Amino acid sequence: MQIGVGFSSNNDHIKATQEAFNKAASAINRRRPDLALLFNTIKLNHPLVLKTIRDSLEDIPLLGLSSPSIIVNQGSYKNGLAIALFSFPEDIYFNTTCVKEISGDNASASGEELGEDLLYGCKGIRRNLSIIFLDGQIPEGRNIIFGMQKRVGRSFPMVGASTLGPIYFNNSILNNAACGILFGGKLNFGLGVKHGWQPLGKPRRVTLSLGNTALEIDNKPAARLYQEYFAMDNASLRNDLKHIAPFYPLGIDISGKKEYLLRSLSSIDESGSLAFNGDMPQGSRIRLMISSKDYCLESARQAAELAKKGLRNQKAKFVLVFNSLARSRLLGRQENIEIEAINKVFGADVPILGAYTLAEQAPLNSTDYLGMPYFHNNSIAILAMAG
Amino acid sequence: MLETNIITILIATLIIIYLAAMLLTKMQKARQLEQEAEELKKSLDNMDEQAKIIVRTDIELNRIQEELDKKISGLYALQRLSHSISMTLVEDQIFQRLSPEYIDELGFEKSLVFLWDKKSGAFLPKTALGYMEEEKELISSHLNGNKEKFLSLIEEDKTLSSITTPDNFIDKNTLHSIFKANYFIMAPILPKQSECGFIFIGTGKTETLITEGDEELIKILATQLGQALENARLFEKTWNSQQELEEKVGARTQELTAALEEVKKMNKRKTDFVSSVSHELRTPLTSIKGYAAILLTGKLGEIPAEAKQRLEKINRHSDELGHIVNELLDISRIESGKVTMSLEPCDLREVINKIEDLLSGQLKEKKINLDILIPPNDFRILIDQTQIGRVFINLVGNAMKFTPAEGKISISAKKIEGLIQIDVSDTGCGIPQEAKDSIFEEFFRVENTINQEVKGTGLGLALVKRIIEAHQGRIWVDSIMGKGTTFSFTLPQG
Repeated sequence: MQIGVGFSSNNDHIKATQEAFNKAASAINRRRPDLALLFNTIKLNHPLVLKTIRDSLEDIPLLGLSSPSIIVNQGSYKNGLAIALFSFPEDIYFNTTCVKEISGDNASASGEELGEDLLYGCKGIRRNLSIIFLDGQIPEGRNIIFGMQKRVGRSFPMVGASTLGPIYFNNSILNNAACGILFGGKLNFGLGVKHGWQPLGKPRRVTLSLGNTALEIDNKPAARLYQEYFAMDNASLRNDLKHIAPFYPLGIDISGKKEYLLRSLSSIDESGSLAFNGDMPQGSRIRLMISSKDYCLESARQAAELAKKGLRNQKAKFVLVFNSLARSRLLGRQENIEIEAINKVFGADVPILGAYTLAEQAPLNSTDYLGMPYFHNNSIAILAMAG
Repeated sequence: MLETNIITILIATLIIIYLAAMLLTKMQKARQLEQEAEELKKSLDNMDEQAKIIVRTDIELNRIQEELDKKISGLYALQRLSHSISMTLVEDQIFQRLSPEYIDELGFEKSLVFLWDKKSGAFLPKTALGYMEEEKELISSHLNGNKEKFLSLIEEDKTLSSITTPDNFIDKNTLHSIFKANYFIMAPILPKQSECGFIFIGTGKTETLITEGDEELIKILATQLGQALENARLFEKTWNSQQELEEKVGARTQELTAALEEVKKMNKRKTDFVSSVSHELRTPLTSIKGYAAILLTGKLGEIPAEAKQRLEKINRHSDELGHIVNELLDISRIESGKVTMSLEPCDLREVINKIEDLLSGQLKEKKINLDILIPPNDFRILIDQTQIGRVFINLVGNAMKFTPAEGKISISAKKIEGLIQIDVSDTGCGIPQEAKDSIFEEFFRVENTINQEVKGTGLGLALVKRIIEAHQGRIWVDSIMGKGTTFSFTLPQG
């Protein structure tokens, strides 16, 4: 397996695409790639970039996403694009697909369709991993994952990202869509997901909820929790959401799991209900969560170590990183320390491709191989591939 | 039966007592648990209260950190932008350096620069980032519709922003709608010696807050732009002046070259004329001298004493005239390149020895001491011996002429940068400062009593200069009135 990553931040978007493609192609010794991933910053001219890369790739399958910042070995960039080219040996198979026009109403069905399409042609083959890109603006996006799990299996390993910008599938730039890859055969990979947020204050219970929205916590309007902690009324909370949401998510206590599953606030309703970037099951025991730069950095290192451990002593050939935008906010100007930590764990010669995301999908505890993938917030999900 | 009943009652009593005791214990335990639960709840509530303090402190810290990060990023962007701006001296390029990346790093996405144009009496856009062409034109027309207000604001060096709007200025909402920005800062660009303008930086985002720090940052940027603009305009001015000067120098050089060519032509004509006249003079002069000599011999008859005296004068003046004619011919030959120097290596001391032999009689007669401070075989020179001999004869002869009895003439030499420098010094009357530049000119003679008494052609030093120059050398003079004179010249090493 050969994997090459090329990056460019040239202001001429055609040149940037060509530069990044050439670097990636050189890294795989100019072999014809089997698959391409394209990670773009939002400000780039998407049609121009896609057309340029398609001219080079011809009919090779391409999946991609756009993000406010992309991640490569050198650090994170707000302006640029990165391309990963994959050349697989004969004993690794993959299938790609895309589902369009997804809405809150058909998210689960779309997820099932995505799973069904990914499984197409994979009968009798050992399936081992899927990578998913979702448009993060789709309401009830976690239902896409639930729907997909109905087809591929609830504990089937998955790593995915909900993006802030459009996603790419072959020749298309898509909103309200999801695309994915399903790998089969002898793929050696490791997954790690961590957040580094710690519980604070007393536990509470979600007494009334609907999908992503918590209506009541401890039989009181859900927003009361944040009002009490921050000493603000509802209007002030809503005004200050930008400062509160990324730093203070709620943690859902998952029975049998050590870590809490984070849910960050997406909006506060006038009536006092709280909407989250992910489901908030009724009856859940929850805690307010808090983190620091040190915890954040340590969790990135732990996620990388977990992913590395999954490779069973094989040297990684590629690292895929989905990192929450909230973590970028928390680390501020120091956001590159996480990437440095990942570089240190895998070695600076291992190519990294990553993006900042609205939500991440990965098993809650990757050491538990039968662990069910969850919809995460504020987390860093790392996939390492070897072979 | 009674016993049985008593035992039963006792047992029942004991059981009741036991149960009562148990109940009491349980009640105590329940009370204890309740108390503990109460304490736990209290602890949890306390912990929650502490958590509230932590969270409120943390959010403040996060806010401060974000503000600090923003400031640091802004400062870094400003530093790089300032550097980039200062690297160009072309006015239009200054504004092109305001790229979207820098504006983004400053925390905004819209940027405009307008400069006041005196000729058209309007604000002209120089750059517009984050605006469509039609939006730019609309802003331009709004701006020029209120140009007096904006001009006076700029001239007063006032910064305008969504947090500070001066009294009696256009109201904030109108400004928001003109510039299509929810938050903005507008700072004047005031170059010292040219037209002013302003930079506008803004954002359409609703959550961005402008602080006084942001205002300061944009003010600094505006000052940098003003300075860069000033530098560019000064550079352009200097460049234009330099171009103009270069053109003038070029034209003048052409004129001078033409004049020099003309002078050269004239000089050649003069040389040719002198040469031709000298030749023409020499023939009749030889005849005059010949006839005078014949007459003096008396072969053509006895001549009276007075006539003889006149004939001797004719003979002597003919000799002098012949000398002048010969020197003029030599000068013109050297100038025209007709005389080629027969260069050969020789010992300087030997050359001077010959001169000493030639002049020893006169030196003795005038009681002048000649010091030759040149050891034999130390200085090899590449010269035409005959010509350089004339140089020494002229220089030592001149020195003798102007050095009083008991005076001293010395000749010394030294090696300088591949050449031999020879100095001929005397303890004579010296040459006046104002005459130094002219003494090598033809027919120039220093105005002094000696020259009035002693005859001379005024061609000797001119000839010496031509001979030295024909050897690729240089001659110059240093003199102190009343103390003496030193003639120095260079010759190539042999």
